[in-house]
Amino acid sequence: MSSTRRSMMTGMAFVSPWLVGFATLVVYPFLASLYWSFCRYDLLSPPEWIGTDNYQRLARELATGEGFGRALWNTAYFAALSVPLSIALGVGLATLLSNCSRGRSVYRTIFFIPSVVPVVAASILWMWLLDPNEGLANRVLGLLRLPQPLWFRGPSEGLAPPDWFDFGSKDALALMSIWGVGNFMIIYMAAIGDIPRSLYEAAQLDGAGPLRRFRHVTLPMLSPVIFFNFVMGLIQSVQAFTQVYIVSEGTGEPAGYSLLVSLHLFLSAFQDLDMGYASAMAWILFVVLAIATALLFRSTRHWVHYAGRR
Amino acid sequence: MISAKWRRRGRDAGLIVLGLTLLALAFAPSFQRADVVPQGREEVLFWHFWGGEDRQVVEQVVQRFNASQSRYVVRPVAMPGNNLDLKLFLAVTGGDPPDLINLDDPIVADWAHRGALMSLDELASAEELAELDRWLTPAARRLTHYDGRYYGMCNGLDVRALYYDVTALESLGLEPPRTIEQLDELAVRGFQADERGRPIRFGYLPDPRRLWNWGIVFGGDFYDESSHTLTLTDPKVAEALAWMTSYRDRFGARAIAAYRQGDQSLPGKSFPLLSGRYVAVMDGQWRVRDIAAFQAEQRRQGQKATEFGVLPLPRPPQGFDEAGAVNGNVFLVPRGARQSHGAWEFMKYWTGFGGHEQQAARTCVEGGWIPVSRQVSDTRLFQEYLSEQPLFAVFVELSQSDRQRPVPVIPGAPYLKREVEQLAADAMYQPYDESAMQLLELAQPRIQRQLEQARQ
Repeated sequence: MSSTRRSMMTGMAFVSPWLVGFATLVVYPFLASLYWSFCRYDLLSPPEWIGTDNYQRLARELATGEGFGRALWNTAYFAALSVPLSIALGVGLATLLSNCSRGRSVYRTIFFIPSVVPVVAASILWMWLLDPNEGLANRVLGLLRLPQPLWFRGPSEGLAPPDWFDFGSKDALALMSIWGVGNFMIIYMAAIGDIPRSLYEAAQLDGAGPLRRFRHVTLPMLSPVIFFNFVMGLIQSVQAFTQVYIVSEGTGEPAGYSLLVSLHLFLSAFQDLDMGYASAMAWILFVVLAIATALLFRSTRHWVHYAGRR
Repeated sequence: MISAKWRRRGRDAGLIVLGLTLLALAFAPSFQRADVVPQGREEVLFWHFWGGEDRQVVEQVVQRFNASQSRYVVRPVAMPGNNLDLKLFLAVTGGDPPDLINLDDPIVADWAHRGALMSLDELASAEELAELDRWLTPAARRLTHYDGRYYGMCNGLDVRALYYDVTALESLGLEPPRTIEQLDELAVRGFQADERGRPIRFGYLPDPRRLWNWGIVFGGDFYDESSHTLTLTDPKVAEALAWMTSYRDRFGARAIAAYRQGDQSLPGKSFPLLSGRYVAVMDGQWRVRDIAAFQAEQRRQGQKATEFGVLPLPRPPQGFDEAGAVNGNVFLVPRGARQSHGAWEFMKYWTGFGGHEQQAARTCVEGGWIPVSRQVSDTRLFQEYLSEQPLFAVFVELSQSDRQRPVPVIPGAPYLKREVEQLAADAMYQPYDESAMQLLELAQPRIQRQLEQARQ
């Protein structure tokens, strides 16, 4: 046996536990779920081929806005709100902290600490904060004579007609997602630290003020990291489950307004034992996410700059 | 560089550790079992969801059963929290189910339909089954009966009635409400708001999850078993929903939703009637214990104890007395259970069937649970308990009514339950232009289609 072949065999032997795990726990379920999406399957009896029935049901629900249609809209609304919010806040905080000369590490730690709090604990905390009657948020809004939303209890969408600014359950969930913004902030701070000082000096010599330097130096240089966080944030928001399960007690309350696709999928699979429908839903979600990511990648030529190049 | 000697030593040490680990793994299960199962007895593995005080009651029953037995020994495994059905599901599909499980989710028909549960036909004689039929209350019978067979046994019923604050009611000059009109009057007169118009007390407020109760009280039915048809559009069900949504129109969807959130935010989700947020609330028999603890605390602090009362759900003129939706805890034997007969023996012992009535009465008294047979509730021990617990006695009386109906025991029941509750929540929290009947007509074909699919 040649030494190259021996090294390869040794390498394969070392990675084989992972390969076995990957094949059995990822590849097999992935492909099996594709097959099951064309079946009636409850895990207790063998899958029965029913063609495209599950997909037809999904299409019907998409058309009527019930079930999957409602869950998909809820998820899209939540992602459209939480991802930009997290990015804007993360970039904003990182920029402020990068320019802060004293106590930077203290603030950095303070902003990062919430990221290590378990989601369950954070969810319960937010339920108290956003309680419509006794919560801190509404008390402050009340003192300022501002409208007090119903938050997690609200069957409304504050950033869509006809409920403008009447914030409801999904708005509260999006607000809650900024709780973990410390994670993103650390990445942005590292990226800001990597921006050559000479670029700022050159901009300053050309007469650029702080805002222009941020707009024309910081943001373009941060764009690869923003892009990375955008894609990761999108995937995370589509997969958001624990917090929704906690705040809605596993029901998608109020009135289905917080029924995200992940929760709908879980209830269909493990409460209704409709694994085929749940698999079909997972595949549609996968395709939607793949298309959204592909579009994002395609858009990078217009706004993402790698070392000054697009 | 590591010398050859150290490499050898390292290899030897690694082999010794590996050998010891394998030995430990090989013998660990037998060490564990030898501690639990006495010689000559067969172990019945029992999963349940009870925690806290209830768990102690469960363990006492198990101890009494084990002491009474020469053949079986029950090993209880407590799994407090949600999703016990999911754990069972994974255990069954993984081929290693427990011998017996107790849960309170409406999954019996779904699981029985798929052959995942053993029917009692496989465990009990025909005579025993005929006797069981006579022995159980109608509600307990319905909860595990599917397609002409029993798939398990109910061991405790959850019944709902109307709790009210006697003092608050008297201060309003009202009688305890026995009709819907009286309940509506209580709702209006019991309502209080602060200086900014925010509600601080509701006389009464229907909970959207309780359309199941009100539909039956109003005289409606949700499902026709003979034709396997959903009957959401039953005019009486629509009437019940219209009555519930009248509270939305009266107080405003927004005020109701905000107030309900306040109930959920109470410390430990305590009973909102005790905090004075309502004059009357619909809830189950387990609140009797909360009331007793609350009154004891008031007395301990030198205050006069607040007096509470309980009534069957008020009804409209054409509605039914002593009606409502019932659910309960059920014992189920998963297919593949190794000690199914031991599980059956334990079920009988717990529930009192087959001559164990006295022991069942003792369990119900210890746990504050509603018996599933009149023969248990008629025991002297239980009657003495009821004479000390007049509020609880109302629930026991209600549990024996033929008008206490569970969510239909059909495949797809969890889906049906969820959809109906969501529909009612939608109706109560949204300013819909559609009437209650129109909303039900919209939902009926969609839910019916899924139920038909679940039945295939």
